Amino acid sequence: MLGASLYIIVCSTRNRIVRRLRRLREPRYLIGAVVGAAYVYFSIFARMRGPGMAGRRGRTTPSLGAALATVQPGASALVGAALLVIAALTWIFPTDSGLIEFSEAETDLLFPAPVTRRQLLIHRLMRSQLPLLFGAVVSSIFVPFNAIAERVRFAGGMFIVLSAIRVYFTGVTLARARLMSESVPARRVAWTPLVAILAAAVTVGAPMWRAVVTESAGNIPAMLTIAGGAVSSGPPAIILWPFIALVRPLFAGSATQFLGRFLAAVVVLAVLVAWVLRSDEAFQEAAVDQAARTARSRAQRQAAPRVRATMWSLALSGRTESVFFWKNGMQTLRAINIRTLVPFIPFVLFSVMAATLRMSASGARGPAAGSCIVALILAAFSTLLGPQTVRSDLRGDLRHLDLLKTWPVKAAAVIRGEMLWPAILLTLCAWFAVVCGTILSTAAFPELTTPWRLSLSAAAMLVAPALIFAQFTVHNAAAVLFPGWVPIGNQRPRGLDMLGQRLILFAGVLLALVVMVGPGAIAGFIVWFVFHRLIDAAALVPAAMVGLAIVCVEVLLATEALGPAYERIDLSDVERGE
Amino acid sequence: MALVVEQFTRTYAGPSGSTFTAVDGLSFQVRSGEIVGLIGPNGAGKTTTLRALAGILRPTSGRVLVDGHDIVADAIAAKRRLAFMPDEPHLFEYLTVGEHLRLVARLYQVEDFEQRAKALIEELELAGKERSLPGELSRGMRQKVVIACGLVRDASTLLFDEPLTGLDPVGIRRMRQTIVARGRSGACVLVSSHLLHLVEEICTRVIIMDHGRKIADGTVAELASRHDLAGAGSNLEQIFMRVTGHGSPVAQE
Repeated sequence: MLGASLYIIVCSTRNRIVRRLRRLREPRYLIGAVVGAAYVYFSIFARMRGPGMAGRRGRTTPSLGAALATVQPGASALVGAALLVIAALTWIFPTDSGLIEFSEAETDLLFPAPVTRRQLLIHRLMRSQLPLLFGAVVSSIFVPFNAIAERVRFAGGMFIVLSAIRVYFTGVTLARARLMSESVPARRVAWTPLVAILAAAVTVGAPMWRAVVTESAGNIPAMLTIAGGAVSSGPPAIILWPFIALVRPLFAGSATQFLGRFLAAVVVLAVLVAWVLRSDEAFQEAAVDQAARTARSRAQRQAAPRVRATMWSLALSGRTESVFFWKNGMQTLRAINIRTLVPFIPFVLFSVMAATLRMSASGARGPAAGSCIVALILAAFSTLLGPQTVRSDLRGDLRHLDLLKTWPVKAAAVIRGEMLWPAILLTLCAWFAVVCGTILSTAAFPELTTPWRLSLSAAAMLVAPALIFAQFTVHNAAAVLFPGWVPIGNQRPRGLDMLGQRLILFAGVLLALVVMVGPGAIAGFIVWFVFHRLIDAAALVPAAMVGLAIVCVEVLLATEALGPAYERIDLSDVERGE
Repeated sequence: MALVVEQFTRTYAGPSGSTFTAVDGLSFQVRSGEIVGLIGPNGAGKTTTLRALAGILRPTSGRVLVDGHDIVADAIAAKRRLAFMPDEPHLFEYLTVGEHLRLVARLYQVEDFEQRAKALIEELELAGKERSLPGELSRGMRQKVVIACGLVRDASTLLFDEPLTGLDPVGIRRMRQTIVARGRSGACVLVSSHLLHLVEEICTRVIIMDHGRKIADGTVAELASRHDLAGAGSNLEQIFMRVTGHGSPVAQE
């Protein structure tokens, strides 16, 4: 199996590289590759060779380990403790490593093959190493080292850490699935590591807590020094050794030091691998392949939408646009669940942080002021970034193009209809946020008078749909004119050429957006300039109305003009996943 | 003439800038009430032809007329008369079976939709699945949904690409009956399939393609009586093997 596994890895990697190189013969990929390479060079390598780095090169840069040790004497113990905390939290908030999720080809070809489950797991383990190695090498580019040898050492250390994390997560996933198993041996194997990690956390956490509470620390660095010192010896140090051993190669100062530390880290990794393989065997006795089946069914559950009663039925007559409005609406209503909202959490956290900063800066510490800022940030996000993020329009439907093209409908109506639902949805979100912001604005912006607040609010509510529809028009125009450059559905095309294509497309979209919004903005400014002396802040409203009207006309004209291009879209131009 | 294909050619761009001709100068006609089988080895250009007839792919040259309407120049009128049932069931993952039928009814302006949908759901054994999403259905059931979407309206031209793929024996039998019934009721039917016994059984005429070209066109009896096919045998499989250069299977045995 080892030979077969290596064969799969080598052939797949070679063929992927050959395929990517071969597609450079097509101009769109070649141009993309050139732009992507230029971007990578100027954003990473040129910066490394730039005057800032040259200046730094003159003086001796201490190794990461030495630097950390200077800042915190108990630094390695602290890093080890942090890893222990992460390891313990993984049991509460499990992260699926994907190691036991086999691809369709692996399931169909390897599962029926005369190989053991252990061999299959080793195969998956081996297959996952190449992306981890790539990730480690990329991470070494960003660390502020001068010598290549230091970067190589860092990449090696990072590779071991990433591998260990992946294997550990797999072990936790396997064990968690068996915590309530009916089989006593399986349950014992599942509970043992959980109990061990909790005991380790208590053994390390208790002296740290005691030290921090009893010894007075004036600031955070002092507190960290005390906490690190408390676990640098005795049982806590023994418990933390494997965690520290994993990260120590990252902080090695010389090749010899690195080699010794690397070997120690490899031993820890080997123990983790042995634990996962043994756990899997124990669980197999309880239920053969249950883990893999659980993983697969979870993946299916995540991918498969559920029927929800929406009380929204499609009328049997009406405009073509409304068909797409309904279709995309059903998609949104049925696709949204708690999991899909997770990616938005960082934005919400960012908004809250921004709101807190704003409150601190202005002295307006009331919750109303903070909520107002959050609402305005959400309105700005819905208006400016929403059309880029919400892709339930023609971009998302390119994968259904072979079905759409059989329908007897006007092409312009298809394009308009496709963007109608996401644009209206985002407009409603923006309006809601603006209304909330306006209501709360007295607290956040006490310097603004009521006429100004109301005028700004009304103008924002008029400008929002203009910007949203203009962006959707540009994005859908890109999908119609350059379908091969637009990722289909949720696919994430990889490669330098695809990075370049995305950059070119982004620049093109930005330029088109400026051109499209420009006339409305100019006209709106003229209206404001003429009327603001007469009606002061209220002049913003007619200015925004004029801008909106002009953009609406442009959207109609643009979608009509895009109709023939839609008819000409060739399915063979649409990029399919690798 | 319900369906006219004139000098249809379709080329694809290759990865190295070269072009590949999938279909080369194909011409044929199908009358109302005719059921024509489109057969050929893998890569012969059958699916490309059907997808072009359905308006999915644009012809590189040549033209396709559906009831006199050009599929490129007068696309909406032509597509309104067409129903295409592809071999791979592509459905919207967020719409239920019932919603798919309703969507099609709206797009094609089907007047007596409710009765038609009910009858079709019974006929294709989709009863009880109206509120199911495609992801909850087997491949065969999804294929039936695609067929139901094609049959829920009165299309004058029906295009079937491997219509029996994924169907159970009962479904296959019903599908055969449905195709024949549509042909008898005056529809122009074009069926692409590798199941030669099916084609021989239900089709009134056969077109054989190979390497993007039409190499034979006629009834099975007409083909069997051709001079160059003398001795090939009288059934479609034997004729097919001979015209595609694979010799007579009987002789090989």
